[in-house]
Amino acid sequence: MTHAVPPPRLPVRDRAAVPDPAGGGGVSPMLTRLAAERATGVLEREHGTLHLADGQVVHAESPFAPGLADLLLAHGTLAADAWRQAVERADEEHGAGRLLVEAGLVARGALEICHLGALYDAGYFALAPSSTPGRFHYGSGQLLGAVRPVTVAELERETLRRRALLHRLWPQPLADTAPLLRTTPRQAPVPATAPDARQRAVLALVDGVRTAPDIARALGRRAFPTLADVRRLAAAGLVAAKPPPSAPDPPPGITLPPVTDPDITLLKRLRDALEAL
Amino acid sequence: MANTETALKEALASIEGATGAALVDYTSGMALGTIGGSKTFDLNVAAAGNTDVIRAKIRTMEHLGLKAEIEDILITLTDQYHLIRLLTGRGGNGLFLYLVLDAKRANLAMARHQLKRIEESLEV
Repeated sequence: MTHAVPPPRLPVRDRAAVPDPAGGGGVSPMLTRLAAERATGVLEREHGTLHLADGQVVHAESPFAPGLADLLLAHGTLAADAWRQAVERADEEHGAGRLLVEAGLVARGALEICHLGALYDAGYFALAPSSTPGRFHYGSGQLLGAVRPVTVAELERETLRRRALLHRLWPQPLADTAPLLRTTPRQAPVPATAPDARQRAVLALVDGVRTAPDIARALGRRAFPTLADVRRLAAAGLVAAKPPPSAPDPPPGITLPPVTDPDITLLKRLRDALEAL
Repeated sequence: MANTETALKEALASIEGATGAALVDYTSGMALGTIGGSKTFDLNVAAAGNTDVIRAKIRTMEHLGLKAEIEDILITLTDQYHLIRLLTGRGGNGLFLYLVLDAKRANLAMARHQLKRIEESLEV
């Protein structure tokens, strides 16, 4: 037995390139930096935008998440006209939200809850892993007015909790954004997994075209609880995400470069042999 | 008309024996506000976990065909009471107030009464 030279380092997965769904911290280094410098402005990312004031998140929007107006109007909490008027009269000093509360049209508690719900919903999508870099524009211009700002750390922690929760329910992120299909479960659902009233309402709108965010908007519900309902329905075998139309050819970047290092080829042969056992 | 932060502060200050309180959205398990708690008692974790308690109870009631609404859920530990009060909001939000009480100091009937009053002041 001779003392061999130390083996070459095994290739490790680049954590920055492949975000861990349940991992912690570092959702967006850019956002962390903006929070540290107490920036004010708008951060545009692939799936949504975050509005910052003094480094805190005051508002978030995403095409995938129903906004504050959708939530307030859907359940008759507020009339559409009243909302439109408030938005027209709003300026940087008196946000639309504050005008509505002062006019007695919305209770402060209700506005705060709906606003936080919409903010965390849109934030979940805005902070989703993206293929394009985010852009930040300094300056304000957010006419809703700060209802209740949340810190970047709070938003990141909640976003990670949501990712982990959805992953635990059904580990297929495609269910968040793809059109949904009804499926027949292989066995009759046991009572513990039978859909409840909320889920039955979601199931009724699954038509092969609508996505989970579409269903949330149609029902006037927030996006995240709907995503959770869809994943629970998927786990029960009642719903499936429609796969993308054509299976694309594997991208050329994935093919591994030829390996000549004898240690690595030996390890590969050893692995293949073990797998063949 | 109270915002969530003042409502939670009031809960902690006015209810005898209260050591922590949270306002939780049970459709997502997110704590919209917390007060009190300690290093060893993370209210955010308690909020998310108790969401499952409520979901299970609502589902069971549905299976039993019970039409009544849940007012509150009481969990008694050897040294603590956990009181969960469901809020009926107009905005279509499923929310609950979660209150942790020290069993030696708390008066349950009084705590329930106070929590109901705080719910009314919250106007969600």
